Amino acid sequence: MITVTTGDSRPIFRQIIDAIRVKIAGGELAPGDKLPSVRSLAMQLTVNTNTVAKAYAELTAEGLIESRAGVGVFVSPPRRRLSDEERERRLAEAVDHFVGAVATLGFEPEDIVARLSAVLDDLLVHHR
Amino acid sequence: MPERGCEFVIETDRLSKRFGRKLALRELTLRVPRGGIHALVGSNGAGKSTLFRVLLGLLPADGGTSRVLGVDSRRLDPATRGRVGLVHEEHTLPGWMSAGELRRMQRGLYPRWDETCFDEVIGHFQVDARQRVGQLSRGERAGLNLALALAQSPELLILDEPTLGLDVVARQAFLESLLFLGAQEGRTIVYCSHQMDEVERVADDLIVLERGELASLTSPEELCRRITCWVADALPPVLAPGEVPGLLQSRTIGGQQHLVVLDSDDALAARLTALGGRHVERLPLSFDRAINAYLTRDHAAPVAIADPVATTPSAGGAR
Repeated sequence: MITVTTGDSRPIFRQIIDAIRVKIAGGELAPGDKLPSVRSLAMQLTVNTNTVAKAYAELTAEGLIESRAGVGVFVSPPRRRLSDEERERRLAEAVDHFVGAVATLGFEPEDIVARLSAVLDDLLVHHR
Repeated sequence: MPERGCEFVIETDRLSKRFGRKLALRELTLRVPRGGIHALVGSNGAGKSTLFRVLLGLLPADGGTSRVLGVDSRRLDPATRGRVGLVHEEHTLPGWMSAGELRRMQRGLYPRWDETCFDEVIGHFQVDARQRVGQLSRGERAGLNLALALAQSPELLILDEPTLGLDVVARQAFLESLLFLGAQEGRTIVYCSHQMDEVERVADDLIVLERGELASLTSPEELCRRITCWVADALPPVLAPGEVPGLLQSRTIGGQQHLVVLDSDDALAARLTALGGRHVERLPLSFDRAINAYLTRDHAAPVAIADPVATTPSAGGAR
């Protein structure tokens, strides 16, 4: 079940993208699984259909999902989707963003790293 | 002859309107393209309601021009008026009429009346055709108003603070009806609201009015991207104008300065440090905080909020 909130620091279409990415990475959405239609998901979340369309367009551009005319939107088979440079760039951007968000919270770096490790292990365990 | 399929559903050119000494619209030039949902936001007094009244020919302008669906506002014919739907916060309807009687009355006035749409929308609000308007709750009246406006099959639908005073259930029903029964190909919706959570959900496009002028017209994300929040300790509590370029809002919370800034860059961190700031950090900003800061610039700043721990004499050091 995808949920989004207003008042989040991420725009709604980004929350949708992140939620679907996490579900795919964690196996909750497997290759070949059908996603709700743009309109369906928009109705579920009570948001503008263009917002969902935008999220789906970006996920399609990344090769994570694909649209089959007349049938629906599905999770794509796994394959190396991004170049090494692009992966590196995105990781660096995400790290910066994360560090910016947690730096002033007063936690010890080793506690932050341990927490991050635990969440990633939990998420990606069956990709090992 | 009214233009069909014009590129801009609303067009104003240096539109001005004065009330006594107050300039409600200040040479406003605005073009709203056809299609999608455009949210119109602005502080009270920014000119939103005045704009609608002038656009629809209810008030004469003092200068400039305005057009709706390609037709001059001063020469709006009934056929063009019939292509514009309006839902207003007051939701005023004759209390003695039933929903069904209202429907019958309206149906005769509009050539493209969509009966199915009317039934679907009032059904969503669980309003029965036999109920009298006077017996309906505010939320039900809003739903009936929306049903009447949508059943007209308007080319342009204008909503002016439609969910004001509605409870959570009615607001949800209203947004759902608008998004999934109202929004469609060929229809343009202008949604005017202070409720930023609603704007965040519905807007394709964000029009910001400020003191009778157009402050911004972009996608919501594009405007948000320009607005950032910086936090620092030990800054002087009052910054001289121009010391922080693009400053929208400054609050002191618990001994820290929270600055919301427009179009800042990374050089701002160095600048804040030079002004005496320590532990300068960027904080993420939600849509509503960003837009509200943008709207409240130049308005009076609130009193500084003191850290309750620091003001208690017996407490230890707050830091």
